[in-house]
Amino acid sequence: MTPLLFLASAATTAEPGIAERFGLDAKSIVMQVISFLIVLFVLYKFGIKPVTATMEERARKIETGLKDAEAMQAKLAAAQEESAVIVKKANGEASRIVDDARKSAKDYLDRQTQEATAKANDLLGKAQQAMELEHKKMLADARQEIARLVVITTEQVLAKKLTDADRRAYNEAAARELTNA
Amino acid sequence: MASGKKQIQQLARQLFKLSLVDGVLSAERVPGVLEYLEKHYPAQSLAVLKAYHRLVKAEVARGQAVVEHAGPIGDSIVTGIAAAMTKRYRRNITGLSRPEPSLIAGLRVRVGDDVYESTVAGQLAALSASA
Repeated sequence: MTPLLFLASAATTAEPGIAERFGLDAKSIVMQVISFLIVLFVLYKFGIKPVTATMEERARKIETGLKDAEAMQAKLAAAQEESAVIVKKANGEASRIVDDARKSAKDYLDRQTQEATAKANDLLGKAQQAMELEHKKMLADARQEIARLVVITTEQVLAKKLTDADRRAYNEAAARELTNA
Repeated sequence: MASGKKQIQQLARQLFKLSLVDGVLSAERVPGVLEYLEKHYPAQSLAVLKAYHRLVKAEVARGQAVVEHAGPIGDSIVTGIAAAMTKRYRRNITGLSRPEPSLIAGLRVRVGDDVYESTVAGQLAALSASA
């Protein structure tokens, strides 16, 4: 109904009630209200409620995620602190081990040096003793050999040079020695 | 086997005792003992004779001074040494000279197992040993 037609009809008809004037029909209004409620119900049931539930679920998930993230952040921080402590402790331990290793290596080196020096001195002493013994043995052998040669030579010379008179005189002297002994 | 050797030694000693007169080996008894052995052939006679010979030889050596010498020596020297040994051992010891040129000069006297020596070779050997 156009406004012009509405005005024309209003001018021609007798003074209707407000409801008639505004074209309000109780039945229509009730039907419309019922229809609206039905639509509202349907919308609420199949539209608003799932969307709201979905949104609430999402919000809850987000909240949980945020909480988890915060917890993870805290755990990460704690882990970082713990790892820092562990690294610091490990560094200290490593430094101590390295120092111990250096000290042990130095002690071992000193000990080995002392042992090597002692062994070298021992070997040197033994070698000197062996040389002295060898020298003494050589001198003794030489002395014995010289004495043997002197005796052999003397025997040969005496056997050739001694006369019977010499031997007789020696025998008489020997007889006196043996009878007086 | 051991008892056999012991028996041989015992028989040889018995025969040797029969060969002594007043503790001195008798030149008359020894042929008698040998004659007895020829007549009464004992068991293992060769071993008995060897043992008897060893005992007689040792006894002869105990009563004899063997004078080994290099160069000439007079009888007086041998006699003097025999007299000295008789006096020393207090038994009759006879002298026997034996030339030994390896001694060079001097005398070596053996009475049984005892040896007395005064020789050039001995002195040279002692000198060589002490070097």
